[in-house]
Amino acid sequence: MAILVDKDSKVIVQGITGGAGSFHTKRMIEYGTNIVGGISPGKGGQSVEGKPVFDTCAEAVEKTGADTSVIFLSAKFVKEAAIEAIRAGIKFVVVVPEHIPIHDMLRIRKEAVKYGARVLGGNTPGIMTPGEANLGIMPDIAFTPGRVGTLSRSGSITYYIADTLTRTGYGETTCVGLGGDPVLGSTFAEILQLFEDDEKTKAVVMTGEIGGVYEEMAAEQITMMSTPVIAMIGGVYAPPGKRMGHAGAIVEGTMGTAESKLKVLGAAGAHIAKTFLDIPKILSELKV
Amino acid sequence: MRLYEYEAKELFAEFSIPIPGGKVAHNPEEAVAAAELYNYRVVLKSQVLTGGRGKAGGIKTAASKDDVFEISKELFGKKIKGYSVEKLLIEPLLDIESEYYLGMTIDRTKYELVMIASSEGGVDIEEVAANNPERIFRKEFEIDEPIFSFDGFALAKKLGIVSPQLREFSSFSTNLYRLFTHYDAKLVEINPLVKLRNGGFMAADARISLDDDALFRHPDLAKRGIEKRHEEGELTPREKKAREWGIPYLDLDGDIGMFPGGAGFGIMGNDFIHYYGGKPANFMDSGGGPSPERIAKMLILLDENPNVKAIFGARFGGISRCDDFAKGVILFLKEHGLSKPMVLRMTGNMWQEGVRLFNEAKNETPELFRNIEFHGIETPIEEIAKRAVELAKGKK
Repeated sequence: MAILVDKDSKVIVQGITGGAGSFHTKRMIEYGTNIVGGISPGKGGQSVEGKPVFDTCAEAVEKTGADTSVIFLSAKFVKEAAIEAIRAGIKFVVVVPEHIPIHDMLRIRKEAVKYGARVLGGNTPGIMTPGEANLGIMPDIAFTPGRVGTLSRSGSITYYIADTLTRTGYGETTCVGLGGDPVLGSTFAEILQLFEDDEKTKAVVMTGEIGGVYEEMAAEQITMMSTPVIAMIGGVYAPPGKRMGHAGAIVEGTMGTAESKLKVLGAAGAHIAKTFLDIPKILSELKV
Repeated sequence: MRLYEYEAKELFAEFSIPIPGGKVAHNPEEAVAAAELYNYRVVLKSQVLTGGRGKAGGIKTAASKDDVFEISKELFGKKIKGYSVEKLLIEPLLDIESEYYLGMTIDRTKYELVMIASSEGGVDIEEVAANNPERIFRKEFEIDEPIFSFDGFALAKKLGIVSPQLREFSSFSTNLYRLFTHYDAKLVEINPLVKLRNGGFMAADARISLDDDALFRHPDLAKRGIEKRHEEGELTPREKKAREWGIPYLDLDGDIGMFPGGAGFGIMGNDFIHYYGGKPANFMDSGGGPSPERIAKMLILLDENPNVKAIFGARFGGISRCDDFAKGVILFLKEHGLSKPMVLRMTGNMWQEGVRLFNEAKNETPELFRNIEFHGIETPIEEIAKRAVELAKGKK
């Protein structure tokens, strides 16, 4: 068991003929991900890494039964691509590119809700179910099948957590990148619920960072969970009023500080980790 | 991206939202010339990209030519929350009967647009929300949902606005809504929206924040000089240089150069250094998939910083590949040279190729690598952070 993707997911790559698209398609296939084709309007009939290229998502869905998509396109094309996929019947869309216009993310989210689809990103490293599927850009060296689920706003943090869980023998069920953009296709709370419903996931590690309110919104969900949640927030020592890389990563007044996020999550029952090495210690105390 | 008030008001005018008129002045002489149009009964408003200008003394009224000259001279020399005043907006004084608030923003938690109106204008709206929540009215919209006149009527009624002003207020709200969606705004705020003694409504202030990531849809803005800008006060010389190179970079007050990969670990790594008793000299973000040249520039920023005593390097290759990373580090070593001790951990996508490149270069020119301690996935990143703190304290 896993959440959102497994070895049976039928995955298409939107932007498969581009540089990043073809490079990561090769990696995803080598990992064993069930890539069934790709989309590149005007290049239908070609193939990339032995997989058929289609002009439209509808054709790809009809010919391959695809149910999942990974987008490798520049930000300005993401709105069209994601909505096309959702309307063609794709139920899970992973938006790897960053800097998606906020209004476009609202449009994509609206379509996703209407069609019962789920979206990750923008600016997500993707999603990995170790041993089964790797969608996006995550480096497989960090991951191994196991019993802890992870979700994070950041790519590198996802890798460091998986690396830690792998080294200490816990392994991962599924690792989800929510994305670093200011408006995201899915929330912490929604993904936490999927982990709660997954039998194999014995604990969840969620990491967030300063800025925004997505982490705080997870608190209510955590109070309702029987699966233990370990939380980690980056930016405890972030200087206020300064933007740290990500569009949303800024502390303004008392809004979005690491302190306020940790306080709310701790009060909701999450176990707080300061460094990655704290995670196996907490898991051991929890007897996971 | 935040707009200056005068820029925001230009967009208001384009969407038929009434504004007081007025002119931008760059020096006291221009201020006097602009004020003449209004018989010197004017308000002088500092154009800076920060809130609370009024409280900080950045907005003054004048009633005579001498007033205008003296006050503008004073304002032009001023700094407001770290921002120098380079432009003043000179507007006619308004004869105000009452003040309202009208704004529009995005509720990211509900994925909605929300229009907010209040009869308590001209004050901090967050304070009104906290102290008199019953005086704040919200109307939510789905993205791309049309707004109707009756939505505006409903809001106006809640604010106690009656005929004949009902229709006028309603157009205010529908025009604001159209501007918000047209320009991909994150925030549009009129505080105060004033009712004049002679009847009409006017946007006395204007605040607009646009989405940087949607500017490609609005080439017309660049033509008017509304372009991407730095909004967080003044930059240090190194921050300026980094900015020219397109690298998100902040100077901090410690001595450990942070060379951490993406923003996520850039933020977290900063905390780790503190946990182990050190202090970072900077924040930096390589961005997704940096080129070797960019990697080299990141290292130049750190090596040339006299405050930096040691460098903490971490690369977990995802979209950013280890082979490109290694090429960048080698390029830096060959063309610039490393004068500080650096502890570096590299793993992730293409790590084998990265390690191969490092070994090859090291065999050729071992002396270039003498200041680097290299680690792979076998060493936890926390150990690397601890080692960086030791190196900065001069421990061999």
